[in-house]
Amino acid sequence: MADAGVEALSILAQLIVAGVLTGLVFALVSVGLTLVYGVMDVVNFAHGEFLMLAMYVAVGLALIGIGPIVGLPLVVIALFLFGIVVYRVFVRRLLAGPPEATVFGTFGLLVLMQGLAQAIFTSDYRSAPNPPFQGTLHLGAFAIPQATLVEGIGAIVLTALLFAFVEFTETGRAMRAVAEDRVAATLMGIDVQRINALAFGIGAACVGAAGSLLLLSNPAYPTVGVQYALTAFVVVALGGFGSIQGALVGAVLIGLLEVLGGFYLSPELKLVPVYLAYLIVVLLRPQGLLGRR
Amino acid sequence: MRGHLLALGSIVVVSVAAAFGVHDQVTLELLFTFLLYAVLGQSWNWISGYAGNVSFGHAIFFACGAYAAALLVTHGFSPWLAFPAGALTAVVLAIVSGFPTLALRGHYFSIATIAVAALVETFVHTSSWLNGANGFELPIRNGWANLQFAQKTNYVLIALALFALVQLGTLALERSRLGYYLRALRANHGAAASVGIDERRWKLIAFAWSAAMASAAGVLYAQDTLFVDPPSVIALSVSIDIALIGVVGGLGTVWGPAVGALIYVALAKGVALQLGGTGKGYDLVIYGALICVIAAWRPRGIVGSLVDALRRRRGAQAVDASPAIAERAA
Repeated sequence: MADAGVEALSILAQLIVAGVLTGLVFALVSVGLTLVYGVMDVVNFAHGEFLMLAMYVAVGLALIGIGPIVGLPLVVIALFLFGIVVYRVFVRRLLAGPPEATVFGTFGLLVLMQGLAQAIFTSDYRSAPNPPFQGTLHLGAFAIPQATLVEGIGAIVLTALLFAFVEFTETGRAMRAVAEDRVAATLMGIDVQRINALAFGIGAACVGAAGSLLLLSNPAYPTVGVQYALTAFVVVALGGFGSIQGALVGAVLIGLLEVLGGFYLSPELKLVPVYLAYLIVVLLRPQGLLGRR
Repeated sequence: MRGHLLALGSIVVVSVAAAFGVHDQVTLELLFTFLLYAVLGQSWNWISGYAGNVSFGHAIFFACGAYAAALLVTHGFSPWLAFPAGALTAVVLAIVSGFPTLALRGHYFSIATIAVAALVETFVHTSSWLNGANGFELPIRNGWANLQFAQKTNYVLIALALFALVQLGTLALERSRLGYYLRALRANHGAAASVGIDERRWKLIAFAWSAAMASAAGVLYAQDTLFVDPPSVIALSVSIDIALIGVVGGLGTVWGPAVGALIYVALAKGVALQLGGTGKGYDLVIYGALICVIAAWRPRGIVGSLVDALRRRRGAQAVDASPAIAERAA
């Protein structure tokens, strides 16, 4: 009896570790989304497709011998530039239109990017050749895939860096000012267009990093981003749209819900608690768990 | 109004002529698909265009009709019963999901529709009485009583009747109390509420009608393809296709969904002819690019932009006749 209890506890502990690590990757994907939302009130429905693009770029680099970890900064830079261009050419125009234009515009971008990926790369799975960190790490009773550990740690480090940037740099302060009150920020001499473009670029850079990390244990394919984007929407709602700390807390909660739900309910039902969490939060506490009204 | 009826009348005449005059089954199937998508697009347009609550989960209502037909036929009942049964299920689903969520604004509502659709999809996937992931293959039994035909002619006629009903319903909406209230709510919900318009009540009515229309399209779809499973009727990609059709033509316009469906069918056909088969993403590329361009440069969609241009021209020609213009343009 006691043995069974110990085993159940050890399984639970292991699931919690796995849930937190999964959640940290969700956090990195979600902070990009929430930053863009906070600064310019845009929910980028193509956020998952940015992640898909990042994974294909990382696969491409891996094919010419630059592995996902070494290549990470390159993918981040590529996605940052991509984000800036998309903002300057496209999103800027959407912001000038009616409010629903940003929903449809980014939705169109989602369809366009998925179609392009399917036309160019087909729907085959593409993995990085010989990715590092493929073993399993044994720590006493714990067995954790090395890739999951590296993904989780990499994600929390990068999320912390982003938080520090927004919190402590002059540009970060300007971003928060624009998020707080666009008109007042303009009057204080902040170039809102520049800040918007920068925020959009950084939002894309976040999934650039996340895509590189995810390639350690996942293949790239045209619709790979959909599930991550849906999870990120839930996370961002849970944490309060626009809040980085909220996104981190929400992401870990969602990671736990998904892993525990998948184990104790059934793998088919693992997303049910996630979506229920979204509906409950937006209906009962629309400002999010940590958000202010 | 005359213009609208004239347009609808010409579509009916051309479709009936084609249904009896054209014997090429592939062409008739295309015509049927166009009519079906136009109905789905209009159904989506009611809640997303007129009511302003953009749904990315509309396939669940389409699935209500498709699954109602599959279940009834499999258990030996008439598929005609699927019209009321599917509509009832869809309306209940719309009210249960809409009651709490329709008050949400913008992306809050849109993401909620994705969440609700994902929950419904999981439910279907895990329900053995709905055959889970396997879905239903409908037995072949031709004849009016079984709503199944070897030739496409009758499918076109039934879809045409549904399309006409849906278009007339939308024309009625545009000049009804419901239509004016929805427009007021969309323009400024605070101001609308302050003059006593009950947002939840009117939006629920629009949502219920929208769900019932989509369900009827689902019944026809099931009776035509004779195969129903989660990826073909309920997946997120189906909801996205429905939204595509609605956005391209123009939100909150009578003819936008039909134009969107026409482009959709033409693209699917054109891509299949030119590039060998769909599913390779080329049609998505064109569609995505089209939506991007429309969202950034023509946010009112194709029909919306045409209406605007027409109004400007008329306005320039006869400024003093404004009441007559407003009546004709509406």
